[in-house]
Amino acid sequence: MNSHALHQTLPILLIEDEPSVTAFLRAALERKGYSVVQANSGADGLHQLKERTFGGVISDIRMPGAVNGAEIHAWIQSNRPALRSRIILISGDTANSETQALLANSGTPCIEKPFRMQQLISMVEKIFGKP
Amino acid sequence: MSMRGPKSGRGTSLAVRKAKSAQARPISKQAEELIDLAVDAARSRHLPDFLKRFSERAAALAEADWGAVVVFEESGPKLYCAKELEIVRNAPKREWLVNKAQEISRDAQVCILPQEKSSTGVFVPILSSANERLGAVCLLRPPRALHAHERRLLEALASHAALALENFRRFSQLERSKRNWVEDIDAITDYIVVHDRRWRILRTNRSLATHLGVPPVALVGEAVGTLRQLAETPGSLPCPFCVDTDQSREEHVISSRDRVFLVSTSRTLGMPDDEARTIHVLKDITDRREAERRYRELFDSIQEGLFFATPDGRFLDVNDAMVRMLGYESRDELLRNDVGSYLYPAPEAREHIMHELNAKGVLRNYEETLRRKDGTLLYTLQNITGVRDASGRIAQMRGLMLDVTEQKMFQAQLQRERDFNQKILNTTQSMILVLDTAGLISYANRRCYEAGYREEEMIGRHLVDLVDSAQRKEFEAALETTAHGQQVENLEARAKRGDGSLGYFSISLSPMRDEQDAVNSVVVVMTDITDAALLQAKLAHAERMATIGRLVSGVAHEVNNPLAAILGFTDLLIENPEIPASAHESLEIILQETQRTKNIVQDLLSFARQRPVQKEAVRLGAILRQTIKLRSYDFTSHGVEVKEDFDENLPATIGDSQQLQQVFLNIVNNAYDAIQEAGRRGMITLRTKRTGDSVEVAITDNGTGISDTARIFDPFFTTKPTGKGTGLGLSICYGIVRAHGGEIQCWNNDSGEGSTFLVKLPIATEGATAAMEAAG
Repeated sequence: MNSHALHQTLPILLIEDEPSVTAFLRAALERKGYSVVQANSGADGLHQLKERTFGGVISDIRMPGAVNGAEIHAWIQSNRPALRSRIILISGDTANSETQALLANSGTPCIEKPFRMQQLISMVEKIFGKP
Repeated sequence: MSMRGPKSGRGTSLAVRKAKSAQARPISKQAEELIDLAVDAARSRHLPDFLKRFSERAAALAEADWGAVVVFEESGPKLYCAKELEIVRNAPKREWLVNKAQEISRDAQVCILPQEKSSTGVFVPILSSANERLGAVCLLRPPRALHAHERRLLEALASHAALALENFRRFSQLERSKRNWVEDIDAITDYIVVHDRRWRILRTNRSLATHLGVPPVALVGEAVGTLRQLAETPGSLPCPFCVDTDQSREEHVISSRDRVFLVSTSRTLGMPDDEARTIHVLKDITDRREAERRYRELFDSIQEGLFFATPDGRFLDVNDAMVRMLGYESRDELLRNDVGSYLYPAPEAREHIMHELNAKGVLRNYEETLRRKDGTLLYTLQNITGVRDASGRIAQMRGLMLDVTEQKMFQAQLQRERDFNQKILNTTQSMILVLDTAGLISYANRRCYEAGYREEEMIGRHLVDLVDSAQRKEFEAALETTAHGQQVENLEARAKRGDGSLGYFSISLSPMRDEQDAVNSVVVVMTDITDAALLQAKLAHAERMATIGRLVSGVAHEVNNPLAAILGFTDLLIENPEIPASAHESLEIILQETQRTKNIVQDLLSFARQRPVQKEAVRLGAILRQTIKLRSYDFTSHGVEVKEDFDENLPATIGDSQQLQQVFLNIVNNAYDAIQEAGRRGMITLRTKRTGDSVEVAITDNGTGISDTARIFDPFFTTKPTGKGTGLGLSICYGIVRAHGGEIQCWNNDSGEGSTFLVKLPIATEGATAAMEAAG
């Protein structure tokens, strides 16, 4: 089994503090056949990342608590080389200069809230591949 | 002979001798008679009597019928004779005799009488010892020649007459002189008394006797002690005026109850007792004493310094005030010391004094600095009079001296303060003006003129005329308050600046009072705070915009989460086959409205976001032309004229042409809308120019103008009907321009029609411009 196939069978880690957004994302992804593990905060997401293996990570950038999307991104870059190019960031506020810097420097794909379901699916299929 | 009187013994003997000579006159007899004549001449005290006797005896001696003496007196020639001429037979006229007596020369002469040839007249001149002709002896007798012995006899007679005449002349001179002397002494108003050693009055002058109310002779022989009533010298001597009788001269002052006398005494010492005399002259110096006393009192009590000094500055006399002024213990100390060199710190000034005094005689209000005894300086004001000696040189200086040290110090302090104030007035960055109570400018400091005001638009004009008409009432009220004595601080008003433009001023008004404490003028301090006010306004605006930006950013982010859920779930529902088709329409509406909300939030974010602009050199002219092109159809179809006034050499600016076009389009759209609303023939002017390191784009319309230029860039501030605009357009423009490092401003036009938007952007550096040129 090649790595691509392996990843496609692995679940996607969804890190998002907003329950309604999480619910929509989960519903949309699962409807398309992806398996989803959700984390309700950055810290929770980091914990999950250390515990098991994921086929990709979708993370909100701005979250309350000790760990935000940028730190998740940085941890993955250092500790999970396989996931380096399998991250999709979600932003509600691209005007933030830190966010702008992160996106510009890493070239990490990002979808801005609010987005249409079709925007999400095409971005996920492009980065993670079809399930 | 009867005139002589019976008592005269000599007269008797003469009568006897005369009787003898009538019989015979031998030579020896003649000689005897001549000697008698000489004795008579020497002893006689009455000239006319003597001359009568003489003429008679001379006639007898010369055996003449008649004799006379003609004397050349001061009043004219006068004839003296014992026997009247008229009783002589064949007598000539008196005039003839007198004329002949004057005509004869130095020798005796015999003349024939004019009427009678049988008689002759003999004339013998009377010559003084100095050979002066005093007169002539005239004899009438029968005609015969003069024998030699007769001539000698006649000459001897004449010489006796001469001697007698001379003696009489001297005697009368002495008499006159003596009489004059007594008169002179009596004319002296000073009292004179002469007494002998036995204290008896020998003589007083008339003044003294008159003063005592007695004739002068009445006092002679009285004791000098009776004069005590005049005044008295303390002592035991019988004379009230003698002090020391061993002195040949004395001088002292004595006084009675109301009189003061200076007694000058002379004594003839070393004479026999009855010859010794003491002469007192009493001079009444009461008035002089009083005058001196008053003078001295004035001299000493006057507060100004008085001095008498030599031309080289040495004091001869000074008053107490002068001593005090110069800090000496006493007058003597100041006069004793030769303080000259110490007193005058600037000796060369003395030369000036002498020069002036020599030229004019007086020196008025002369300022001189002197040194006090303790070394401190004394500033004086002097009035000096020079007293000249006989040769006309200044022999003495008399002066009055005022101590002006305090005034001088005060003056110096005043001068310092004045200089200080002047410096402040001249160097302060505030305009300082003085107004009279009518509000007319009477003084303006240098700053006013530096700020560009001209003197003719300040002095004598109403300051209120400079104030913006909208605030004149307020300013006049402040002026009124100040005129009533109250200060007005920091009144902010718009007023005409030196260059004619309107500016913001902070104005303080302070009342100035006269001696009666009444406000007579107002000091106005005006500070031009235009730049500060503009800066403050900009800062306040920028701060408000930044706050709004943060708020909007926060709100947008929070709204985005629920929007994301709404949008997402709506999509899910639409794709859900279990949802009936009838619900689809509603879902589409939800989708549509969510989309609209999303757009609003995105606009808000684009105002708030500091998105880095595309860094490229751009030509504003080209961007503006493209912008106009986008709307040219609407403009031409609605009669809106667009005027371009572009600086073709405008430097490039660095920016994002898309964003800048958005800004200009927004402004032009607003201009178009405002023109439509105003309903007049529209005109939009676009002008570009360079100012310093910036390029400016000014877009002017003739629309309705802006109701609130201060809030026009605030988000959701809109003048358009609900739904027509989001109220974010200009907020976004503001955000974009700020992100370009530029400024955006707007104001209503002075003409009263429409408004102007000004966009100011920094000029591109040369490198960036070159890169753009290379890129074509």
